[in-house]
Amino acid sequence: MINDLAAPHRSQAHGGALQRGRRRRARVSVGSVSDDAVPPLGGIPEPDDAEVGRRFAAGDEQALAWAYERFAGQVHGMAVRAFGPGPDAEDVTQQVFVSAWTGRTGYRPEQGPLPAWLVGICRHKIADTWVRRDRQRRAAEAAVTEARSAVDSTGPQVDTAVADRVLLLGELQQLGQPQRGIIELAFFEDLTHTQIAERTGLPLGTVKSHIRRTLERLRTRLEVDGAALHA
Amino acid sequence: MPHCTPEQLALAALRERLPDTDTTHLAVCAECRAEVASLQRGVDALAVRELAAPEAPVPPPPSVWSGIAAATGVSAAPRPEVVAGSRRPLTAVPADRVRPVTPAPRSERPAAAGVVRPQWSRLLLAAAAALVVGVGIGAGVVALGTGDDDGLAVAAAALDPLDDRGATGEARAVERPDGSRVLELDLSAADPDDGFYEVWLIDEAVEDMYPLGVVRGGGEVTLEVPPGVDLTEFPVVDVSLEPLDGDPRHSGVSVARGVLES
Ligand SMILES: [Zn+2]
Repeated sequence: MINDLAAPHRSQAHGGALQRGRRRRARVSVGSVSDDAVPPLGGIPEPDDAEVGRRFAAGDEQALAWAYERFAGQVHGMAVRAFGPGPDAEDVTQQVFVSAWTGRTGYRPEQGPLPAWLVGICRHKIADTWVRRDRQRRAAEAAVTEARSAVDSTGPQVDTAVADRVLLLGELQQLGQPQRGIIELAFFEDLTHTQIAERTGLPLGTVKSHIRRTLERLRTRLEVDGAALHA
Repeated sequence: MPHCTPEQLALAALRERLPDTDTTHLAVCAECRAEVASLQRGVDALAVRELAAPEAPVPPPPSVWSGIAAATGVSAAPRPEVVAGSRRPLTAVPADRVRPVTPAPRSERPAAAGVVRPQWSRLLLAAAAALVVGVGIGAGVVALGTGDDDGLAVAAAALDPLDDRGATGEARAVERPDGSRVLELDLSAADPDDGFYEVWLIDEAVEDMYPLGVVRGGGEVTLEVPPGVDLTEFPVVDVSLEPLDGDPRHSGVSVARGVLES
């Protein structure tokens, strides 16, 4: 499975044995996350991730709540890794779940698990936020330049990588399987083609030719629509 | 000498280790190297850590679910203990309720989630914070100030650096008209490459402590002091560097510290 994520409440390590730091355990206020797994609610069995994914696609509101319980930590962890804790990361996490819900008919359970789909949306939201920040940075620089009435001709630079990412994430989304899963394992999980072949069970030659064709496709997209040509 | 196969050049673009025959050819063939470089732009754009598969989970603060519920209108909700999951409540006080420490221009920060927030204004705030901090250190103690409609400063601390990061800052405990208390804290420090800064109240024996929330380097925050916590018992304001490991305990790495004095 590509980018398969265990539910956070099951994957979280138990903190017990290793006391970190030199101080005693902090008193953590009400509402804190305990190191222990969240106890099941009143013994009612909850659906597995695959069932949550199917119900999510079908528009069952409870599935959105379950998805949040299980995957919000992973999504927010990504957002915080990109932007640090604070409003930008919180906006990204919120947008991921709102977009996922409003676009739920676009989720195909047979194409991959729900958390992988959410992570894909999160990548787009992170890239969008970079673009927004870049735009604001340039606006701020332009304002500063104007304020100084500077005569130097170095205008604000477009960050080509920022624009390229949005473009290429969109192109990845157009890929079918297994091409998309293969390149995601290479890009986002840092696996070699040998490891990808092992992970997916595909022949080495198949993995290599898919990688080649995908990189060519991304190159073509950049040549046609890339930022550098339009900057 | 034959060129490398297109497939091997793609692997080179991914920076995989290639057999010796390929690497020796690449060393002498500009044509093949150019092909690798042209394929690498896509790799460089996407194969970055920020977009990589998730690592440590971070529970979002409760406001994130509220925003989702408001935007989607769903009536189902995650279990309250999951929604309240952020072990470090950010207590994001809207900017217009935060007492400005300087007359520096402030960005308008709409409290509503999902609204574009100007980021570049942080530069201005950082510069302003640095000025204030400079005054505080020179004097050794931070003036309490006169208080205003938002409350009365009851104690203050200058935060001195504890390591070579040179982080400094100041903190003020403010009592509000409704009896609640907040800690206003400015931190002048470079944001860490990994992890974040967290604010703690610690007792003088440095044994027990309360986490108050997160602060950015070059930023100011207003953090709620838990009701019932005696500031004379927990007078030490400590700023720690926390890794993104999901462990709610103090990392043991403090970058700045000061003692509240009234
Ligand atoms: Zn060659």
